[in-house]
Amino acid sequence: MNFMKYRKFYYAFSILLTVVGILFLVMNKGLNRGIDFTGGTAMTLQMADPVTQEQLRVKLAEIGHPSAIVQNFGNNTYFVRTVQIDDPAQNALVDSLKTSLSPNGIEVLATELVSPVVAWDTIRNAGIAVAASAVLIFFYLWWAFRKMPNPARYGAAAIVALAHDIFIVIGIFALLGFLFDTEVNTMFLIALLTVLGYSVNDTIVVFDRIRENVLNHTNRTLTENANNAITETIGRSINTGMALMFTIAALLLFGGPTIREFLLVLLIGVLAGTYSSPGIATPLLIDWENWRKSRAAKRETARAQQPATA
Amino acid sequence: MRRYARTLGIIIVLVVASLLILGFQTFKIGNFIRGGDTPLGLTLGLDLQGGSHLVYQASLTDEATGQPIIPTADQMEALKKTIERRVNSSGLGEPNIQILGDDRLLIQMPGVTDPDRAKQLIGETARLEFRHRQLEVARAIAGLTQEDIVAVRVVDAAAPVATTTTSVESATSTDSNATSTDSTATSTEPVITTPPVPEPRLEIDFTEAGATAFAAALAEMVRSLEIVPGNPSVYPTQLTIAVEGSDQPALNIPSSRVLIQPGGFSIPLGGDPYIRRVPNTNTFRVNLIAGLTDMTEAQQRFGNNPTLNLGLLMGKLDESVGLTGDDLSRAYPGQHAQTNRPIVNIEFTPDGAKKFAEITGRIAGTQDLLAIYLDEEELIAPSVNQAITGGSAFIEGQDFTIQRVRDIALLLESGRLPIPINLIQEREVDAILGKDSLEKSLVAGWVGLALVMLFMVLYYRVPGFVASLALVVYTILLLAIFKLFNVTLTLSGVAATILSIGMAVDANVLIFERMKEELRAGRTMLAAINIGFNRAWSAILDSNVSTLITCAILYWFGDALAAPLVMGFALNLAIGVALSMFTAVIVSRTFMRFIVATPLGKKYGLFVPSAAKQLPQNQKPAAAADARS
Repeated sequence: MNFMKYRKFYYAFSILLTVVGILFLVMNKGLNRGIDFTGGTAMTLQMADPVTQEQLRVKLAEIGHPSAIVQNFGNNTYFVRTVQIDDPAQNALVDSLKTSLSPNGIEVLATELVSPVVAWDTIRNAGIAVAASAVLIFFYLWWAFRKMPNPARYGAAAIVALAHDIFIVIGIFALLGFLFDTEVNTMFLIALLTVLGYSVNDTIVVFDRIRENVLNHTNRTLTENANNAITETIGRSINTGMALMFTIAALLLFGGPTIREFLLVLLIGVLAGTYSSPGIATPLLIDWENWRKSRAAKRETARAQQPATA
Repeated sequence: MRRYARTLGIIIVLVVASLLILGFQTFKIGNFIRGGDTPLGLTLGLDLQGGSHLVYQASLTDEATGQPIIPTADQMEALKKTIERRVNSSGLGEPNIQILGDDRLLIQMPGVTDPDRAKQLIGETARLEFRHRQLEVARAIAGLTQEDIVAVRVVDAAAPVATTTTSVESATSTDSNATSTDSTATSTEPVITTPPVPEPRLEIDFTEAGATAFAAALAEMVRSLEIVPGNPSVYPTQLTIAVEGSDQPALNIPSSRVLIQPGGFSIPLGGDPYIRRVPNTNTFRVNLIAGLTDMTEAQQRFGNNPTLNLGLLMGKLDESVGLTGDDLSRAYPGQHAQTNRPIVNIEFTPDGAKKFAEITGRIAGTQDLLAIYLDEEELIAPSVNQAITGGSAFIEGQDFTIQRVRDIALLLESGRLPIPINLIQEREVDAILGKDSLEKSLVAGWVGLALVMLFMVLYYRVPGFVASLALVVYTILLLAIFKLFNVTLTLSGVAATILSIGMAVDANVLIFERMKEELRAGRTMLAAINIGFNRAWSAILDSNVSTLITCAILYWFGDALAAPLVMGFALNLAIGVALSMFTAVIVSRTFMRFIVATPLGKKYGLFVPSAAKQLPQNQKPAAAADARS
């Protein structure tokens, strides 16, 4: 199948997604930082009536605190961390909990400000770490594809695909943040790192097949070899993606609400990662090749014309 | 075939060992203890398991006025960082540390298996001080003069003479008499009457003031025999009794029975005290142990109301030398270059190096020790081999383990805690995810795994079954490794595990797709398996190496950043990826070889479902190739 024929569509699709992502990232002024990064208000609440952790969490989500962290101290006493709220808001929150969960009263044992669990710096530093590992992966792939013509391009294309996948996830979260006030917490960071691992893994599988085809069929063009490689690996890509999707979907459907954000990142990331190997990384290789060839050809014609003009 | 039989044997042994590791909730081999009351005895993070909830209050006081002052935000941040680093590198799991209000610190730690160790590591005021320790130093008894000793006499505690000052010793002798009387009464055995063995005691009468001073000295002796947790040896302080004008050596008597070894490290044995006050009097009774059990000899020496010189022989005497935690620049665990034993490296500031050189110069070559105190509690007391002028040194010890040197290094470093803190609240707290949520996620995880297996079996038939089996092996081995190496399992670890399971499945999918191609191309089953595995290997290797690179970088950055979350993820992923290479390649390959050797191996349709129509069963490979072309 000639997958590479439509590569302009793939580029257009990815660029569109990226632009939309940037747009929302700008409109939303970045991602919404969750309480892991902002800190907030910590309350110790003693309920007069029996209340479960789950009930409390659900109720807090209903009254506008979906990201509240609820921990049980036992004895119907809960340690609740929410975004920073002022005294009237706190009273309103407690009153609301009182009417719905504990009509016999709620005693506020303590209330205080809490600092972030993780400094926002961590995100920046994690970014640096990711960049550093991208550089190393680039060099590793350069070395692993050393038998190929222009091995550095494989490393570069894999890194572009990786950046693409991460950007899609961030963009979608900017959009969700803008539309639904979705916040990012530390688990978002972890999920993003997971996507990173998956993306590189997936790209390498396709590239490995291209490597084999190029070495075995030297008479074919890169486009032909790449098309064959994608045809040969598409079954595997879809199957692996499905296997992961099953796990994530099962967790999304049956798992608790506390890890939903995390699973959403994985879901988007796996989709993007599966798509970007044939959709971005491989076309890049081909266009790079074509571009160098056409430039060489132009230089060739220019050189041929030069004596004529002289 | 033999080779595969051996590999299969190894796999079975590994699986059985792993099941045993997981099956026993806790197990203990020597000092190696694993497990707990968590599911399968795994170490879980705060999000999955509850833990301790500790709140510390910064207690900063103005030195001039003594008024408490509120620390600055920077100071609190520095405090948080120090404690974060300390807890993170202790292997106590991933803590959650937040500043509460202006001057309090919230520390949540997963699990409550060892809250005391946790609290010790967090430290409270953590004042570190180095002291010069001298051993066996003679001291006078404070407040006791020669005039305070009124009378001295020798009595026999074993004598059946009932004195008014009956002590416990005579009570026991009366008891033994009572038993012999009993046996006489039953008269089943011949009665042998032996005179009681004399038990000489020295009785000293003091004046009122003298008795008070002596009692205080006695209390000090008793205290010197108290055992500090974690250190079974003591430095007993003894009473020295010398007779003025006598050339006999002075007697040294501890307050109770103790196994005395030179240079400290003595072991208290308990039992009746050697020195006691006769109730309601100013008289003290001393058991003349060690050689003076003979009544006559004791009488000769002390019988004539001699002038006694009483003193104390201090087991140890620690003197401040002005070297404190401020002079220490670094402390870190390491290994001795030659012996490979764990050591603690210490480095001093230039100023501290001078003081350290001076004190080590004074101690070197003597029996004296360098005692290191943390919050007035002895941490360690190493001896000094030579004067150390370079400002860096290391501490080694017979009982040093890797964990012990790590803790010591952390505690030494903690001497530099920016603000003193006090524990004001301690309670237990439940998991963040909550039991309900955790159970649901667990069920979901199993459902997901089952779905993946079902999909693999339906799509790839026999190879899919083999891959599922390999996945089961993978899961068992992974959990056993987590338990064995005490890996903290948190939600981020679960994420890493999902990814590595995905990769393990991926590796098998790669291999089987390849196998299918080769079968379609007309290869024999065995050849197809071999080619499938060999060809897929390069992709599996490259992708896993890339992942391991990422893990290494993240782990390293996580360490530098004190972001345990990222570190946990990286560690989990690295273990998972390394293991997935093993199970996806070696385990499933071995299983495949075995299945192919059975009659099932003849049924091509079970291996290449989509090609079943093109490949009639038992068809010769060459013919299959023809049929396709």
